[in-house]
Amino acid sequence: MDRNLSTLWAYLYRHRRQYLIGIVAVTLSNAAALLPFYFIRLIIDGLGARVQGGSLTAITLSQIGWYSLGIVLAALVSGALMLIMRRQIIVASREIEYEVRRDLFSHLQTLDKAYFDRSRTGDLMNRLTGDLGSVRELLGFGSWQIVNIAASFTASLAVMFALSWQLTLVVLGMLPIIVGALYVLARMINARHTSVQEQNSVIAAKAQENFSGARVVKGYALEERELADYRAMNLELLRRNIALTKVDGPLRSFATMLLGLAFGLVLLVGGRQILQGGDFTVGMFVQFVGTLDRLAWPMLMAGWITSVTQRGLASWRRLVELFDARPEVARVPAEAVRPVPVAGTVDFRNVTLRYGDTEVLHDINLHIPAGTFLGITGPTGSGKTSLAHLLTRLVDPSEGRVELDGRDLRAIPTRQLRDVIGVVPQEPFLFSDTLANNITFGLEREDLPAIPTEVSVLDVPAPPLIPQKPDEDQVRRAAELAGLAGDVEHFPQGYATLLGERGVTLSGGQRQRTAIARAIAREPRVLILDDSLSAVDTETERRIIEGLREVSRGRTVILIAHRISTLRHADTIAVLEEGRLVEQGSHEELLALGGHYAELERLQSLSSDVEREEDGDPVAAPAPTLAGGTP
Amino acid sequence: MTRPEQLKPETQDLDFQLVRRILRYVQPYLWLALGAIVLTLVHSLIQPQFALIQKHAIDAYLVPFERDRSLDAEALYQGLLTVALGYMGLRLLDFAVQYASTVAIGYLGQNVLRDIRADVFGKLQKLQLSYFDRNPVGRLITRVTSDVDAINQFITGGLVSLINSVFLIITYVWIMLRVDWRLSLISFTVLPLMYWATNFFRGKMREAFRRTRLEQAVVNTQLNENISGAMTVQLFGREARSALDFDHANRSLLAAHINSVQWFSLFMPAVALLGQLAVALVVYFAARFLLQDEAAGVVAGVTVGTIFAFVQLTQQLFQPIQDLADVFNNLQAAMASSERIFEVLDEEEQITDRPGAATLGQLQGRVDLENVWFAYDPEVTADTPDDDPRWILRGVDLHIQPGESVALVGATGAGKTSVTALISRFYDVQRGAVKVDGHDVRDLKQHDLRRHVGVVLQDVFLFAGTIASNLSLGNPAVTQAQIEEACRYVGVHDYVMSLPQGYQTEVRERGAGLSTGQKQLLAFARALLQNPDIILVLDEATANVDTETELRIQAALQRVMQGRTSIIIAHRLSTIEGCDRIVVMRRGRIVEQGSHRELLAQGGYYSRLQQLQYSGQRRPV
Repeated sequence: MDRNLSTLWAYLYRHRRQYLIGIVAVTLSNAAALLPFYFIRLIIDGLGARVQGGSLTAITLSQIGWYSLGIVLAALVSGALMLIMRRQIIVASREIEYEVRRDLFSHLQTLDKAYFDRSRTGDLMNRLTGDLGSVRELLGFGSWQIVNIAASFTASLAVMFALSWQLTLVVLGMLPIIVGALYVLARMINARHTSVQEQNSVIAAKAQENFSGARVVKGYALEERELADYRAMNLELLRRNIALTKVDGPLRSFATMLLGLAFGLVLLVGGRQILQGGDFTVGMFVQFVGTLDRLAWPMLMAGWITSVTQRGLASWRRLVELFDARPEVARVPAEAVRPVPVAGTVDFRNVTLRYGDTEVLHDINLHIPAGTFLGITGPTGSGKTSLAHLLTRLVDPSEGRVELDGRDLRAIPTRQLRDVIGVVPQEPFLFSDTLANNITFGLEREDLPAIPTEVSVLDVPAPPLIPQKPDEDQVRRAAELAGLAGDVEHFPQGYATLLGERGVTLSGGQRQRTAIARAIAREPRVLILDDSLSAVDTETERRIIEGLREVSRGRTVILIAHRISTLRHADTIAVLEEGRLVEQGSHEELLALGGHYAELERLQSLSSDVEREEDGDPVAAPAPTLAGGTP
Repeated sequence: MTRPEQLKPETQDLDFQLVRRILRYVQPYLWLALGAIVLTLVHSLIQPQFALIQKHAIDAYLVPFERDRSLDAEALYQGLLTVALGYMGLRLLDFAVQYASTVAIGYLGQNVLRDIRADVFGKLQKLQLSYFDRNPVGRLITRVTSDVDAINQFITGGLVSLINSVFLIITYVWIMLRVDWRLSLISFTVLPLMYWATNFFRGKMREAFRRTRLEQAVVNTQLNENISGAMTVQLFGREARSALDFDHANRSLLAAHINSVQWFSLFMPAVALLGQLAVALVVYFAARFLLQDEAAGVVAGVTVGTIFAFVQLTQQLFQPIQDLADVFNNLQAAMASSERIFEVLDEEEQITDRPGAATLGQLQGRVDLENVWFAYDPEVTADTPDDDPRWILRGVDLHIQPGESVALVGATGAGKTSVTALISRFYDVQRGAVKVDGHDVRDLKQHDLRRHVGVVLQDVFLFAGTIASNLSLGNPAVTQAQIEEACRYVGVHDYVMSLPQGYQTEVRERGAGLSTGQKQLLAFARALLQNPDIILVLDEATANVDTETELRIQAALQRVMQGRTSIIIAHRLSTIEGCDRIVVMRRGRIVEQGSHRELLAQGGYYSRLQQLQYSGQRRPV
């Protein structure tokens, strides 16, 4: 058994009890479902025999009553068993779905930045929804049907054989033809269904392109051509859909027809047997036909089951790929080293960072004493953000080492490292949660129970519901420092305001300030602001920086920015270009140096002159960068 | 801003106004629809016959022999043979009828789908740009995909199924009554129970399904956020909280699924049980009647064949009854979708051709903006006060001579792009007029106007297709030779030829794989092939292109401008310098105009702006 299957087996094995009960139930249910026609046979034969035997009753009314009750009871038993099956197998498949999702989620949490950069969110989501669904379908509906087909064929054929082996041979002769025909049809349906889906995607893509390119379509007066294209695509869809309908639509009636033809033959052969005056009675004939009828559904399903299985296994392989992914940055477990107080001195020693063949940082040496304020600037792509990534160990250096208080980061427990560093990323990611929960993001992990993986959901009680209880003072303090408090006053629900799709949409500046509040609330020893004030106007920016200087006394602050007005407050400013550290010093020193920094300063003061011409518009225009861009 | 649509109810009451409007789409296929209905009718007449034939076979040939062995078996078998062959023949006929009706309904539904799609898509082509500014692309796509599908479902799954079910119920009831009215009435007693049970369980299952969908949405949102925000979670050490929250959501989803399974698991056995209950009743009473008749010595009205036939007829009657319970839900579900679609179709077209709008022959290329006031906000009218902040253009007067090249310069938001959008008549002005060769653009046919006014966007929008088809834009009059000539002219021919399939290279999504510079050169080639009399170049973004490509673009731009009225939103100094006139805009007004030299000499806004950009560009990197 290959590894893919054995991993799937592990999940199944934990639910073996449910599957066993389910399989037994399906088998018995199929047997019980055949009983009503047995009772009908008894009644019919009883009625027939009565007349045949003369005037005495071979069957009494009370017997008929009991047989009728038998019909209902048999249906009741069969139905109850089917209910048990569903509540065992189908529920088990849902539980396995839950377990796989839980385990994948916790596995994804261990993967690093490199992995998430490589994979697209849409693809991961597809696997976690579509592929997981296909696997579940195989484990639930699929496995039920496999058992069901086997059980119903066995039970029906056994009964039929007992009734008349000649008739059973007739049916057995036809079965391969019927199942074969349905199998071929199922394959055709699958293929044509795929081709319909493909055309649907083409049409959706066309619509997407047309609507997003409305300006071009109108600008070049392409409306008629676009409509003609769209019509042609829809005509092709119609063609494919009709092709699908031709094999898919009448599938059921096709199966009914095949069974009907089988019935015709059975009528002939069975009729011949009755007319020969043997033991075969009309009642037995009726029971035989009724039993044959029960095979219609399993026969239909037999055609489908291969594709359900193939799809499920292929999807499982894609899920195993996720399970097999490993992070490149090895986390240091918390137990490895005893935590020590951190002062906040940061050192980059001969750090070189490469992504594949591209060198992003080259031999960087940078000493940031604890409690100082470092500004970093440089053109887009010069490696500023990579410095921040190195410091939080989102990546590890290709050469050299990054140190915190003289200790290599790779020797510090990852948890502790990230606890003492607060980051405000370039494009802050906020969660669809309340503002308060976003600000106190990740501040309460100690008390939370871990979610165990690779166990059956039946063996683990649900974790307690522990709502996040953000400390209101903490939230307010952080929001005030980040210059967010004023905005929040205008929200009807204040800090309980829900963000995201179902709540309010924050402006770019508000998002940045929320992210700043989130970082400040951690009271980190080292605070990194990666171009975090770009969407904030200069006045607010000044206030935030002042607030920051206030709280960050004794903390190390690393600020990546383009604006001189932001940078000038720093104790030291480092200028990066193409991955190299080209200038370093205080604002005044660098101005005196007359290099890149001085040039940037000149451009920006010119730019602000121009902006002032714009009648003191409070919203600052984007500042020119060292890349030589224009406003 | 964007109202989440899932908050709207999924179903609503049948609105006959809407139904009538949907049915109008069926009208062109009336014969097809009638044919489908006739076929359905034929099928519903055939279907109950099978049980009757079986009854006949049992009553006429098998039971008599069983009762009286002295009968001529061979003669009975001959009769049976005829019946069996007839039965098989009828089965084949029934399949043919069903096949034909399925395909007919398929054609009907697909054609209606196609027509509605074409209507919605065509309508969207006519709607003004501001409609697209207002509606996110995703929402528009939903209109032409799932909403249209819902209408298709309305017709094929709703109406057709309704007709089919009603026919079947009528014929079954009629035939059953004719065979034996007493047994029929007994079997019908279960019907209301069946209808009620189906409705009850379907309702429960729909509710359960709705709950699973809601829970699934929560799980998906959390998954999505934890994947997109994976690094944030890790940096803030929030793994435990995320895992805990996710486990709660995941467990809720599991609970919802299990709840749903529980209703499902009840539904099927309950329906089967009711079916068997009806069978048991029918069998019991049939046998009882038979015994009574025989005891009374009358010719039995109920026969063994009747019992067998009724067992089948009763079970078959349940199917349409169950279907009927679904039909109304299908119909209701389509209402919300069709309302949204008709909303699009009823959207007012704000920019339309005036009746008797003039067609343009050759243009000289004069462009006049006469005291133009313009705002994107639809609530702004000619009467809105001058100091309203929503005005984008505030009394712009600009007169451009045929063949003149004009550079529009100014900060972001000064109104440069709006000026070009008005010349193409993407929007209409609130006050004043935009004129081309002295004609107000509102008096010209839009198509005509835009065929003479070419637009070159920085981000050339490439359509799915080959490079050649993107350049000719599907115009069959453009030859391959012309395409190559245009590409040589702007200097992109060699690049295209270096691609493995040359001009037949497929362009990937939005031109991925092509560099910015190459895309821009292709945009110029595209504009040249269109051969417009007036050309608008929106050279807005500051793209990172290497010096060589930069020079090529400059050269190509000069060539494109030659002999045409050109209006350019330029950021490259060399482009601006090459223009006949520079118009400096600020806050929706023209503040300075003149040649480069004149404006520099003035030492005004332009000179400072220019100094800033110039030094930015000349800085060695």
